[in-house]
Amino acid sequence: MKETNSALWTPSRRNMLKTISSGFGYLAFSSLANLVTGQEQQLNSSPLAPQEPHFPAKAKRVIFLCMRGGPSHVDTFDYKPELIKNHGKTGKFRGALLKSPWNFSQRGESGLWISDLFPELGKQADELCLLRGMHTDQPIHPRAMTQMHTGNAQFVRPSLGAWALYGLGTENDSMPGFISINPAPGTAQNHGSSFLPAIYQGTKLKNGGRGFSRRRGSSETIPDIKNPRFSKTQQKQQIDLIQKLNNEKLRREKEQPGIEGVIESYELAFRMQTSMPELVDLSGEAQETLDLYGVGERNSDQFGRQCLLARRLSESGVRFIEITHSNWDTHFNMEDKIPELCNQIDKPIAGLLTDLKRRGLLKDTLVVWAGEFGRTPYAQNGNGRDHNNKGYTTWMAGGGVKGGFSFGSTDEVGHEAVEGKCHIHDWHATMLYLLGLNHEQLTYRYAGRDFRLTDVYGNVLKEIMA
Amino acid sequence: MSTFWNKSSFLFFSTFILALNLVGIVVHGQDEPKARKEKLTNEQTKFFESKIRPVLIRECYGCHSTKAKIKGGLWLDSREGVVVGGDSGAAVVPGNLNESLLWSAINYEDFKMPPGKKLSHDIISDFRQWIEMGAPDPRIENVAKVNTTITPNDILRGKQFWSFKKPAAPITPSITNTHWPRSKIDHFILSQLEQNKLTPNDDASATTLLRRLTFDLIGLPPTPEQIAWIEKNWNKDREKAITHIVDSLLSKPEFGERWGRHWLDVARYAESTGKELNLTFPNAWRYRDYVIDSFNEDKPYNRFVQEQLAGDLLPIKTEQQWAENLIATGFLAIGPKTLTEQNARQFKHDLVDEQIDVATRVMLGVSVACARCHDHKFDPIPQADYYAMAGIFNNMTTHYGTVSTLQNRRSSNLVILPIDDLNPFDEKVSPEELASLKSQLAQKAAELNDYRKQRQSARQGSDVKFSIADIARTSALVGSLKNKIQSCDNQGNPLTYAMAVQSVDRPTNSRLLLRGEFDKPAQYVERGLPQVLVTEQPNITATSSGRLELARWVGSEENPLTARVMVNRVWQHMFGRGIVQSTENFGSTGQPPSHPELLDHLAVEFMNNGWSVKKLVREIAISRTYCMDSSFKQTNFDVDPENKLFWRMAPRRLDAEALRDSILAMSGDLDSNRPRASRVAEFGPGTVRDGALFSTLGTSNSKISGGFSMRGRPGSMGSGANPSGMTIAKIDQQMNYRSVYLPVVRQALPRALEVFDFAESSMVVGVRETSNTPDQGLYFLNNEFVLSQSDAIARRIQQEKSSLTDQIKHAFLLVYGRRATSNELRAVERFYREFEVSRRSRLGRESTQKLSAVCQAILASAEFRYLN
Repeated sequence: MKETNSALWTPSRRNMLKTISSGFGYLAFSSLANLVTGQEQQLNSSPLAPQEPHFPAKAKRVIFLCMRGGPSHVDTFDYKPELIKNHGKTGKFRGALLKSPWNFSQRGESGLWISDLFPELGKQADELCLLRGMHTDQPIHPRAMTQMHTGNAQFVRPSLGAWALYGLGTENDSMPGFISINPAPGTAQNHGSSFLPAIYQGTKLKNGGRGFSRRRGSSETIPDIKNPRFSKTQQKQQIDLIQKLNNEKLRREKEQPGIEGVIESYELAFRMQTSMPELVDLSGEAQETLDLYGVGERNSDQFGRQCLLARRLSESGVRFIEITHSNWDTHFNMEDKIPELCNQIDKPIAGLLTDLKRRGLLKDTLVVWAGEFGRTPYAQNGNGRDHNNKGYTTWMAGGGVKGGFSFGSTDEVGHEAVEGKCHIHDWHATMLYLLGLNHEQLTYRYAGRDFRLTDVYGNVLKEIMA
Repeated sequence: MSTFWNKSSFLFFSTFILALNLVGIVVHGQDEPKARKEKLTNEQTKFFESKIRPVLIRECYGCHSTKAKIKGGLWLDSREGVVVGGDSGAAVVPGNLNESLLWSAINYEDFKMPPGKKLSHDIISDFRQWIEMGAPDPRIENVAKVNTTITPNDILRGKQFWSFKKPAAPITPSITNTHWPRSKIDHFILSQLEQNKLTPNDDASATTLLRRLTFDLIGLPPTPEQIAWIEKNWNKDREKAITHIVDSLLSKPEFGERWGRHWLDVARYAESTGKELNLTFPNAWRYRDYVIDSFNEDKPYNRFVQEQLAGDLLPIKTEQQWAENLIATGFLAIGPKTLTEQNARQFKHDLVDEQIDVATRVMLGVSVACARCHDHKFDPIPQADYYAMAGIFNNMTTHYGTVSTLQNRRSSNLVILPIDDLNPFDEKVSPEELASLKSQLAQKAAELNDYRKQRQSARQGSDVKFSIADIARTSALVGSLKNKIQSCDNQGNPLTYAMAVQSVDRPTNSRLLLRGEFDKPAQYVERGLPQVLVTEQPNITATSSGRLELARWVGSEENPLTARVMVNRVWQHMFGRGIVQSTENFGSTGQPPSHPELLDHLAVEFMNNGWSVKKLVREIAISRTYCMDSSFKQTNFDVDPENKLFWRMAPRRLDAEALRDSILAMSGDLDSNRPRASRVAEFGPGTVRDGALFSTLGTSNSKISGGFSMRGRPGSMGSGANPSGMTIAKIDQQMNYRSVYLPVVRQALPRALEVFDFAESSMVVGVRETSNTPDQGLYFLNNEFVLSQSDAIARRIQQEKSSLTDQIKHAFLLVYGRRATSNELRAVERFYREFEVSRRSRLGRESTQKLSAVCQAILASAEFRYLN
């Protein structure tokens, strides 16, 4: 069992402050009161300091491309010849089977079947590890979204990103460790820390799309990131005064981790004021890079910018980055909607994979693409598909997974996962494993019980490990 | 419009309580079927076997049986399935055609069953006869019985656990240093310190203690006048000075605002449902005010908990009291709700589960809800004990409001109070308007129905002539019309609503659910209390749900936990650490008490003093233990680094409300009046999305014609309003009331609360987190509220003092509650000299600007944030 942040009254931590750092450059936070009812307490680390994983692993960070609304797997990554053959038949289903209106082709050396709706992403087929046997408990959007993020639709639980940050800490002491770009309205709990300490919660970057890069340090990206009144020099003077008062107090009171925490929080806040606006400013990127992500093209501009931002954040050491793309809920009129949605993400994701690879980042960045569920192989409203939580496809790339690989499958028409089944709990366990964390050991004690992201479930898909 | 005015089912106590049952939560008839006890006559059996069973088999079992499918959660191949019903409610309520969904379905009223071909007239009349004769059903059902692994012996042994035994007045321990103690509390503390060869810290200084007292008791900083007073009186008679200060603070209305908020933390108080569909609770504020008033009146704590568990059932003398009791039960209604849950039974089980969980953890410090799915793993609470309590809470309707829409599958009504205490923002609606609204509603509801029908036929393949957006829009419009119509009576006079609970007429026992799954019912369990906690079960009669009995037991002196849990909580708020550290877990997985005798002493005294919270706070506040200083002592620290033995007062961080309220108090901007209702009430029914409130469930109001405008229209909420909603984050800058009166909606908090670890309002929070995050740094460096309040403090000190040095000293006195040290003065004076601002600015004179920067730095420093 892992216990953090409970031992802040101990001298060792204070000694560490003295020995490690002459200034306040190392990242540490503290929490004075908490209910962690630990026995053996881990004494000498701050909750956000980089932590050793449970075992060596390739992935060091995650970029989670969250496809909100439930993308249709049978029109994108799950090729179903039998569905084409049985087009129009009703069989045991509520509606007539509907073949995908789009062709599939075998792409890359691996020959993965991918819809022609992804001409660019198809070129990256050899990086993709398709999980075609996904299933989840919840058939409706909000609950399925919550389960995808926290493992549990009923109770408020910590987000996957918060668990990852709790397990591994962060590598950039000028940036938050978990950032969610453009989260959907009303989904705060999906990026929350719940009972985990608040410092593990996701920092929202609103908008993060059109226009966000045009104003340096846009105040919309993060609250209170910019002082409306003082110059940088003035503010530095003011912070010096604050820190003098703080050090004076620390000197008087000798042992007070809370004061140390305050001192450190100003150091990081001050650094974030510089680093954050710089990171979200894409104006220094080469035109070739912008083109690679489809920035500037009508359809892909917004998601392209967000993917590019994700690369910049991962490069800077942010542990967990999520981007939300909406809205894949195609109950009707899918002939128009699905091509448009695919077009919006095709170039940006292909660009992201290419860019990560050429910068040497893909090998230790786990890129995950997933919606909250898939869609039915049969028609709804004539030209749409209904929700389907029984079978769908997600994929991973980079960070220690096999490329050009497909694992698991649905039945012959794509209705239900039948082989290599991967429940959300398994999916979570696998992601943690790729980060070097054992999902059964990554626990946090709350209300007298050790909690896990995977509750009492979860099997690691060892088959997909490179 | 009578369909929207289903008075009869909830008409309660003549005309006083009228609850609108728009969609109606169906309380399932989960009673043990009568037939179990009363043998069926031969005729009844014959009627069923010849007229009913064959039809069920032929027409229904295909989709509704445990052997085939269970569509809509309904199975008809057992007596149980018929009575329990499916997702929409009971299929058959014996003897009651109107409430039997099966009856309306075979008559093609709402559901059309069997689909395709209506049953013949003769068969339908057979079913009428069958339901009217009480739906006799001879089918034998094998009720699974889940056995427990917890033996009577385990329970007997469990009763020996320290917290499950009644507290007894302990013997006051002997001590060596007899001069130190001022009260009994001090004896218990000193005794353990001496045993561990530790010495208690010195007494805190006058100003340190004063600051501690004002923050702990009323959540505000000491005023310069109070500081002057205590400095003057401190050396004359220290004890008398302390007592005087404590008593005057206890009598202030700010006491209830401070301590009421502590209770709201554990009561998971919020003004919206939370979860994916987050609708507002515009009447939740009544419960907030009730809690604050109860602490100010020093209502006996046992009475306070009884009102919250069963206020609707307690005897009353006046209507005022009745209203208060009903509002108190809002405790059970304000929890988070998954309104998108399609299955009514799942929702009801989850609702009851949340109520059991919050009631037991908050009031008893045990977690009974652990036993929903299996025997409690650590405490001897068999699964059956959970269902014994579920039986108590099941026989209750929870009125939390929200109207039904396309998304909101679990709407509810509210209770009308017996007194006139209107939500101040409700307006009278003229008869013409009302008529117009009702006709609009009829029209829109018909439209919606049309859409739905079309949609159903579209599933069979025909074309759709409208979009999902059309349905959503119309559905939201219907919702807003319903809201408006409901806000007043038939004459258009606004009504006084509250969130509350009500008992159902015929209480029934609950069934144990295998693994907690609602479609796996096992044996019936008698209503009752957890065995390990009681010496004998209360006598719950057939006509009583048992909730009043539960409340009486929780508030009784026989209860081993209630007093202990509360005194520990009070201790925790005054020392930053409970005697039992796990404040809501006194079970075997919780922490053992560091001072068991002290805990029992406090609990017994608490009960002897008529469960008076004020007396308890007073006893602690004047103890020598509480009055110690917080200084660091290496020798003590080496033995007890966590201060478990209370050798010093632990330094504590102020909470979000104390920080914001202090800043307002120091600038002189604090409005100490209680605002009427809340911003959420003012806004009216709405949705919380993306950090903002939107009225009428998320669509534009412009579509509603007919003479009324909804609240919360663009621009009406000042600068914080975004184009279509009211942004929550900046609300703290628009109102100068105390923070306890800021709107608390789930998933969106005012910035000043969010940034300093406000309680997560979907959970029971006994101890708040105190993090130090860069976000807090950014807040104090850059936030508009902090900047403008720094200006205000600067202007205040310029007004009150003339020389610069005096002004700076005054700033320290206001913010730190003490005199500045020479080092501090030197640092500030140097900053003042070197800090350059432009001479002319909209921010005021050069000196004001500089002083403002100074005040901001002092506010931003750790000393302001911490209590010594």
